[in-house]
Amino acid sequence: MKMDRSINYLWSLLFLMVLAVPLSASAMEMDDCLGCHGDADEVGDELFIDADKFIPTVHAEMGCVTCHESVTDEHPDDGEAVSKSDCLDCHEELGNQYMATEHAENAVCSDCHNPHQVHGIEAVSGPTMNQQCSQCHEDTDVMDSHAEWLPQASLHISKLPCITCHTSAEGYEIVLNITQKQKKSEGLKGYRFSSYADLKEISGEKEIQSIIDIDGDNNISLAELRTFNRNPAYKNFHLSGTMVPSEISHDLTTLDNRYDCTFCHASGPGSMQTSFLALPTEDGYYRRMTVEKGAMLDTLYGTPNFYMTGSTRSPVMNIIGLVIICGGFIMPIGHGTLRFLTRKNRKH
Amino acid sequence: MAEEHQNQIYLQPIPVRIWHWLNAFGIITLTVSGAQIRFPDYIHWLGSYKSAIYLHNTAGFVVAISFSLWFFYYTFVARTMANLYVPKVDDFKSGIMRQVKFYFLTYFLGWENPHHPTPDSKFNPMQKSVYLAIMFVLMPLVSLSGIFLTNVDPLRSLIVMIGGLKILAGLHFLLACCLVAFIPTHVYLATLGRTPTDHIKTMWTGWEDEGEGHTEEPEKSNSTASS
Repeated sequence: MKMDRSINYLWSLLFLMVLAVPLSASAMEMDDCLGCHGDADEVGDELFIDADKFIPTVHAEMGCVTCHESVTDEHPDDGEAVSKSDCLDCHEELGNQYMATEHAENAVCSDCHNPHQVHGIEAVSGPTMNQQCSQCHEDTDVMDSHAEWLPQASLHISKLPCITCHTSAEGYEIVLNITQKQKKSEGLKGYRFSSYADLKEISGEKEIQSIIDIDGDNNISLAELRTFNRNPAYKNFHLSGTMVPSEISHDLTTLDNRYDCTFCHASGPGSMQTSFLALPTEDGYYRRMTVEKGAMLDTLYGTPNFYMTGSTRSPVMNIIGLVIICGGFIMPIGHGTLRFLTRKNRKH
Repeated sequence: MAEEHQNQIYLQPIPVRIWHWLNAFGIITLTVSGAQIRFPDYIHWLGSYKSAIYLHNTAGFVVAISFSLWFFYYTFVARTMANLYVPKVDDFKSGIMRQVKFYFLTYFLGWENPHHPTPDSKFNPMQKSVYLAIMFVLMPLVSLSGIFLTNVDPLRSLIVMIGGLKILAGLHFLLACCLVAFIPTHVYLATLGRTPTDHIKTMWTGWEDEGEGHTEEPEKSNSTASS
């Protein structure tokens, strides 16, 4: 019995060693590559890789040679051009969706996605996502074309990532970002997304998530959301909500139902049952923390500055409104009945 | 003209009548479109959601402009705003109670309305108080909250100061419900004239029969009555 257990341990150890070898090898290779390519003066702007932005990406975890497999130990002295793998080698489905669109005639993958800086949708803010689109689509053109048919066009454009409507993704989720009032003394108005440094300033030695996630369970409850909203110390902060696709699609067709306002502006569509809080990370990206599941509309009620006409109405408010309107009929019905019954008294 | 309007007084000048019906039509449009905007999953009276929003915004704009014209007319042209709409000390001391007693008791016994409208005092003390609340509190607040809601982005800081978009939308909704509740009461009181359509005709033609039967003067009127 003891012998069996020892053999199992040995196998496990061997397995872990096999796993660890390629990881350490690729880490070594990446350091070698970045030794030169991390210095713009040495390789020039075109071949420069910003290590700070590259290392946190998923692509970096795979190591440089995964995509640049022809590179040799003699590089660059061997004079050979280094191969680049095609994005579609890995991202086949998304790539094929994209290649079928008109966009593919005008822009290749890397025009929008720098492979050495790319992050998943959950790590990027809405305005950053939209930067890819505004490289070609002028802001004024976007505003004008939407204002022709979309009520509150500027509000929609400022609040939503373009891909919320302009992809064929069916599912959506709500993402709340912490924003803060800009200082008038610096000549700035309105609100901006809070950075990691901003939040660290108020969280002190604690993690920034402790500002909202009071019990530290990596999940935001409705009560915690309310506590944050009501805390006078955070009066310059507020949560700004947006809708993002829950899955990535590169079929950039705008589905007909996106022109129907009730696709979003109807009470509690199924797609709005999942929500997250996006917390800024030290490296300038975001990480998501789940917000109490299944209480989407309640969550939104807990956020004073998130209101989506038609979809986030309060049932309590509806009842109060109905009572008020019914009150308007007391006089016609009550007085009218007595008036009818006593009509003979006024025949003189 | 003189013969046609014998025993009649000119109570509602043209500006007042235009304002009244513009307001009435506007408020009904706002109510219907507002209902669709709040309950898009149940109400589709005006077709698409977008058309309901455009109609609501346009009607809101018309009502806000007509409110401003009403205010301008009574304050600067007719100069009777305070006299007509602000209750006097006597109104508080006894006038309101007297009027309440009439509406809820002596009216049914066939007594005459203690308030006799004259061109200088169109509204009874109860009407004054109600219209004061409606025209100086409800209407400005509902219009203002509507203006805020149609300009969320530029007015974001102010909205946050008020307590957030949700508070603002809730306030707009509840104030609008109060205005909607006023409609059936208003229309009912308008039928308490000599005949049920008497006051309504007056608000259309401007002329009201003199003499008995001024049991209620429900509409806005003007003291600069001419003959």
